[in-house]
Amino acid sequence: MSSLKPSGKTYWRSLDELADNDEFRRFVDNEFPAPADEMMAPTSRRHFLKFMGASMGLAGMTACRWPVEEILPFASRPEGYVPGVPLQFATAMDVGGSALGVTVTSYDGRPVKVEGNPSHPASLGGTDTTAQASVLDLYDPDRNSRVLKRDGETYSADSWDGFFGAAAPKGDGQGFAVLSRAQSSPSLRRLRSRMQQRFPDARWYEYEALSRDNERDGTKMAFGRPMRPHLKLDQAKVIVSFEDDLLKDHPTAVRNARDFAAHRRGDHMNQLHVFESAFSLTGIAADKRVPMASADVAGAAAALGSKLAARGIAVPAGLSGGNAAAIDDELVEALVSNRGHSLITAGPRQPAAVHALAHALNVALGNVGNSVVYSDDPEPSRPHHLEAIKSLAAEMDAGRVETLLVLDSNPVYDAPADIDFGGKLAKVANKIHWGFYHDETGQACDWCLPAAHYLESWGDARAWDGTYSVVQPLIEPLFNGKSAVEVLAGLMGNTAAKGYDLVRETYRGMDTDHDFEASWRRALHDGLRAGTGFAAQEPTVTDGWGSSVQGGAGGSGDFELTFLPDPSLYDGRYANNGWLMELPEPLTKVTWDNVLMMSPKDAAAMGVRDGSLVAVDQGGTSLDLPVTVTPGQADGTVAVWLGYGRAAAGRIGTGRGVDVYPLRGSANPGFVKVGLSKTGRNYKLATTQNHWAIDDGVSLPVLGKIEGGRQQTQRRAEVHAREVNLPDFVKYGAASVAAVDLQHHPVELWKEATYEGHKWGMAIDLSACTGCNTCIIACQAENNIPIVGKDEIYNGREMHWLRVDRYFKVEQPDDDTMNLDMASIEADKVDVAMQPLTCHHCENAPCEQVCPVAATVHDDEGLNVMVYNRCVGTRYCLNNCPYKVRRFNWFNNQKDKFAGGRKRTTTEMMVMNPEVTVRSRGVMEKCTYCVQRITTAKITAKNEKRELHDGEVVPACAQACPTQAITFGDLNDSHSHVAELQADARAYAMLDEIKVKPRTRYLARLRNRKGEGLGEGVVLHDDHHGDGHGGGHGDGHGDGHGGGDHSSDAHGAGH
Amino acid sequence: MAVMSAEPGRQSLDNTHDDPRERAPLVIGHDLASLTDKICAIVERPGFTTWWKICFGISAGVTGILGAMVLYLITTGVGVWGVNAPAGWGFAIINFVFWVGIGHAGTLISAILFLFRQKWRTGINRFAEAMTIFAVICAGLFPGIHIGRVWLAYWLFPIPNQMEMWPNFRSPLLWDVFAVSTYFTVSLVFWYMGMIPDLATVRDRATTKLRQWIYGALALGWRGSTRAWVHYERAYLLLAALATPLVLSVHSVVSFDFAVSIVPGWHTTIFPPYFVAGAIFSGFAMVVTLAVPVRAIFNLEDVITIRHLENMNKILLATGSMVGYAYSVEFFIAWYSGNFYESFAFTNRAFGPYWWAYFAMFTCNAFVPHVFWMKSWRTSPVRMWIISIFVNIGMWFERFVIVITSLSRDYLASSWGHYTPTWVDWMTFVGSFGLFMTLFLLFLRFIPAVAIAEVKSVMPEGDPHHYEHAHGHEGGA
Repeated sequence: MSSLKPSGKTYWRSLDELADNDEFRRFVDNEFPAPADEMMAPTSRRHFLKFMGASMGLAGMTACRWPVEEILPFASRPEGYVPGVPLQFATAMDVGGSALGVTVTSYDGRPVKVEGNPSHPASLGGTDTTAQASVLDLYDPDRNSRVLKRDGETYSADSWDGFFGAAAPKGDGQGFAVLSRAQSSPSLRRLRSRMQQRFPDARWYEYEALSRDNERDGTKMAFGRPMRPHLKLDQAKVIVSFEDDLLKDHPTAVRNARDFAAHRRGDHMNQLHVFESAFSLTGIAADKRVPMASADVAGAAAALGSKLAARGIAVPAGLSGGNAAAIDDELVEALVSNRGHSLITAGPRQPAAVHALAHALNVALGNVGNSVVYSDDPEPSRPHHLEAIKSLAAEMDAGRVETLLVLDSNPVYDAPADIDFGGKLAKVANKIHWGFYHDETGQACDWCLPAAHYLESWGDARAWDGTYSVVQPLIEPLFNGKSAVEVLAGLMGNTAAKGYDLVRETYRGMDTDHDFEASWRRALHDGLRAGTGFAAQEPTVTDGWGSSVQGGAGGSGDFELTFLPDPSLYDGRYANNGWLMELPEPLTKVTWDNVLMMSPKDAAAMGVRDGSLVAVDQGGTSLDLPVTVTPGQADGTVAVWLGYGRAAAGRIGTGRGVDVYPLRGSANPGFVKVGLSKTGRNYKLATTQNHWAIDDGVSLPVLGKIEGGRQQTQRRAEVHAREVNLPDFVKYGAASVAAVDLQHHPVELWKEATYEGHKWGMAIDLSACTGCNTCIIACQAENNIPIVGKDEIYNGREMHWLRVDRYFKVEQPDDDTMNLDMASIEADKVDVAMQPLTCHHCENAPCEQVCPVAATVHDDEGLNVMVYNRCVGTRYCLNNCPYKVRRFNWFNNQKDKFAGGRKRTTTEMMVMNPEVTVRSRGVMEKCTYCVQRITTAKITAKNEKRELHDGEVVPACAQACPTQAITFGDLNDSHSHVAELQADARAYAMLDEIKVKPRTRYLARLRNRKGEGLGEGVVLHDDHHGDGHGGGHGDGHGDGHGGGDHSSDAHGAGH
Repeated sequence: MAVMSAEPGRQSLDNTHDDPRERAPLVIGHDLASLTDKICAIVERPGFTTWWKICFGISAGVTGILGAMVLYLITTGVGVWGVNAPAGWGFAIINFVFWVGIGHAGTLISAILFLFRQKWRTGINRFAEAMTIFAVICAGLFPGIHIGRVWLAYWLFPIPNQMEMWPNFRSPLLWDVFAVSTYFTVSLVFWYMGMIPDLATVRDRATTKLRQWIYGALALGWRGSTRAWVHYERAYLLLAALATPLVLSVHSVVSFDFAVSIVPGWHTTIFPPYFVAGAIFSGFAMVVTLAVPVRAIFNLEDVITIRHLENMNKILLATGSMVGYAYSVEFFIAWYSGNFYESFAFTNRAFGPYWWAYFAMFTCNAFVPHVFWMKSWRTSPVRMWIISIFVNIGMWFERFVIVITSLSRDYLASSWGHYTPTWVDWMTFVGSFGLFMTLFLLFLRFIPAVAIAEVKSVMPEGDPHHYEHAHGHEGGA
């Protein structure tokens, strides 16, 4: 021991040690010092009691300890890190096998906000609701947090090492199977092929409940090999969608929406034709929508092919006539005259032959290379998802699967009903579930492994177009999770594998740069590796399948039921995300439930209305679903969203709505014939906007027809959410969007306030808005907006600061009787208007004047600010707000009512944006125009001793919007984008007539359809009809005729 | 009850004749001493009668419910009520306006009718004023508890504070604070001042030390000297002059809560006079509702005579017609204005989802009181009591219609909603009646319910010329 002594001071434990005598050496050598010896020896009762007493006493002492909380400064602070200043990291989020590039804002190590990565081709800065809400998933307390091993009926905690030791495949991997969701990760693919080399008998299956494999099969049919189409909507002047929801339910929906909206603003406007049964966001955006049963879409596609053939376009042989009445000759003409700049797509529910026809027509019309590009499918040998799950089930049934590893998939819930996956799973001896939640599949498994979220683990992903991104974590795994690649590596023996190393290894394999580190860092910084997109391939159309373009639905019954992905929950995987669960569905505004959408005609015929429970019978399986009457739904069809009725989703998602997967068999995953019958019972639906079926007015003997809420809604919708047909706009300019004005005497009664410095304002382009709801979630994430639950939504107490108003517009009878008999509403005469609504920051804010304690006031930049700590909660401001954008905290919304009203855990609270005050009970709140972002930008500019640039301040809604429909900026800067937009010929201020002077203006929506010569503008009240108002009154709106020059170049593709 | 046949030796209780040659008596069959005995006997009776104990027990129990509801509200949040967006106000504000309206009759009777030399007011003014005080207490409760953060309610008052924050003087809610608190203060002072001679009477007749001491303290040393009476009457006149504009202002200001806003259906200039008329209407209805049973129970038919009641019913008829006129005019103006939102607000009131409330209001307020054109209805206590109940209900529905139908459907059709009261709303509303009745029962038991001194002044004995003419030119209705 002395030899080990270093120089300098010497420390010793005892004098014996210092002396280093024999007795001390014996003491040290003895592992258990004397008292322990004594304890183990069969000694006296007295000793025993002494030790027991002391142990008991000391055991009690442990309770006296204060909890240890360590606050440690960085020993060496990371370069460029300033505490409290948020950092941005680029990463990517993979959903269903295609990645969206995002940047994530992190405050002191906590990721709190997801934004689109402007340089990523699938995003261009936009996001969708899924990406925006993904931060909430990260902190979900219901996530799997431990490795669990089945122990009889219950589970006991185990460890990752325990799992790897017990579950690794044996021998050549006989009986070992993996079921995965579609994953684009090259690292996962690399490990998978390594696994298949090492365990050649192991099997890998890939299943997605909502899959685009029909499209893939369509390319196989049309081109002889599986190819992947890449849409270039910005190159398409005429777009035809056969039930393809390009703007929402598509791997590149965010990019599609951006490209589509780029040509909706008046110049060179594209034209969108949609054939579908249920209203999709694409159908809402359509210039011409043809409602028809999903089964009949094939007939329409065939008819289009036949009519194009008649115009000399080469179409596949054997194509039968189809439903010629569904296809306008104008559409045919438009396609023929825009050859090379048209686009025909088909949706994932349509059979492969319809896809094949769409692809073949794109080739024939010369669109390939312009509006659509094809690449080879990255996995040409992969079977169709339905085939995969069927063969896995057959293998399990035959007892050939001993170990099944389920990678973040939930087949017990979402596999086709006829497969009985749950039943067959029971035959597997060793079932392993790696996932975020202890869900339906997890509960049937023997091992449950916590999955790491994409924000807490290393990984990689490819976008739909192949662009490679590294998924980089922003935080250590919160719940002890591992990523899929780490699990696979562990099963192959490398239990200590780090995702970082695995991904870097993959990257090294694809990197040909000289400087690996620089290239890697660049990929991390940019969020993508440039030039990794799939190479375009020239497809050649094969023949011999034309006769298979046939419609028809399986099953039997009077109605056709379409299975739609839920706009928020997708296939059900996001069911425990409160933000998404409470997000109003774009069309029906229903929250917390799924409904059966039915046309008004069918509802009237069946005698049902909103909330009536209807029994849906398919092949002997019957489910009760609540009806929502949805104008525009094709007659004879009903539609329902998948993803509800989860049995084991977590505290938010479990038991919400009805699980309709039992109706969905592998033969008819898209749509099926069903029988409907009334049950006579009703169900309480929570919607954020009044149902369509509100009062219809009364007819009185002398006074005649007294208008009810429905007629008024129709009248007001025209004025509040304005839209105009392109030819009218081109001809009449601003006058075509002006409403006849109620403001007869625009006199200022007092000196109006002036704003010297900044004057913030917003412009929302209704032509660009698709109603996708991304802004709502972005606002919720940015501004710490709580969810309130179904009952409170039902009570009208939702908290969303930003909402999207939806109006059904029904073509009116010419006599202006507004007789809107439900049974007479034709589905093809229905339009839907979408209108995002934030606080309008009125200059004459009615809310400010009535607050008795001056808790809501104007600041010197014209913001209507809400002082939470001054608010006492009289709610007078809410009453007096004409836009009804104020939200009140009726209860303490900071408690988690879905967990028995307890306070939120520290982990849950980590999702809060520290820049925004968290509001408590009894306080009013509302949109602030993201004042925290304004202030941050101003401080930055001031520190850098410069002026603010236009576009530097971007509110959360505007930043998230995939179509850039929302523009924010300084109205005092006449060159700012927002000032230009507010002066646009399409701009109008909603409720201008009550002189609140809103700072938000809308740009009227344009539809590219025939004009109706509405020179008199949208008429507000029939009393004013035709009395010479109209055009002239456009001036009253302050936007003058500044748009005159605008309209001159607004010809485009109009008729 | 009803018109009683004359007993031998007593005058007929029917003094509702319209014979212009003979002035109807306001007090029947009493001299000064018997009047004092009769009124004071109610206060001086030892112990409590059974009916009082039962009524008080029920009222106190219901007040307990009110307390429990308020406690639940304050501990949980305003969300226990049915209020929502867009209907940010609900039962609390309806009840507030309802009770404030009821609180109008007392001061009107004491102040305005005093200035107009309406002698018949003396029989009913004491308990009408008491009713006013208690109604305003009930009214004041609601705005206090309806705010989100009750513990900060004092921020509505201009109290100097470390934030150097004034309240927002542009807000009608702040005007409300001043109007209602001023009205309450003046009404209370007026009521108490009017009571001093009677309290002294009770003190002087007290047989126990405790009563002597308590009523002695309350009587503030009143000795009834001529000098004191001169000062007293001058002060009373001044207070009446001060209270008179308040009668008109307080409900005008309450109406500003609505009229100053921009909500269609609220933003109308007719509101101040319409609200004042409605308030007098509802206040007199409540006086009738209370007076009819009180005079029956205490055998006060000879002091609160049928003629008193008939006069009140005439006022009900007049104000009911004003209210009906207001309903019609606002409907007409809504149409005539050509304002899109305004005209829908009114058709929606009548034919929208809350049509039943509108028809309840219109029927009870604008149609039912017209039975008072018939003398048989004006002079029958049972019938008038039933009608007064109708008016009370109708006036509550008027406030419901104004608050709820306007708020639930304003500008943007997307934001229309529906208001449904919860059980807490109902229990709180019912509880406020408990509070009102509890206070009123305590008043009946411990304070002379009729202003003895004032009534004496309108008796023939109070007329200095009574020995010259049997019925002088003063006195009478």
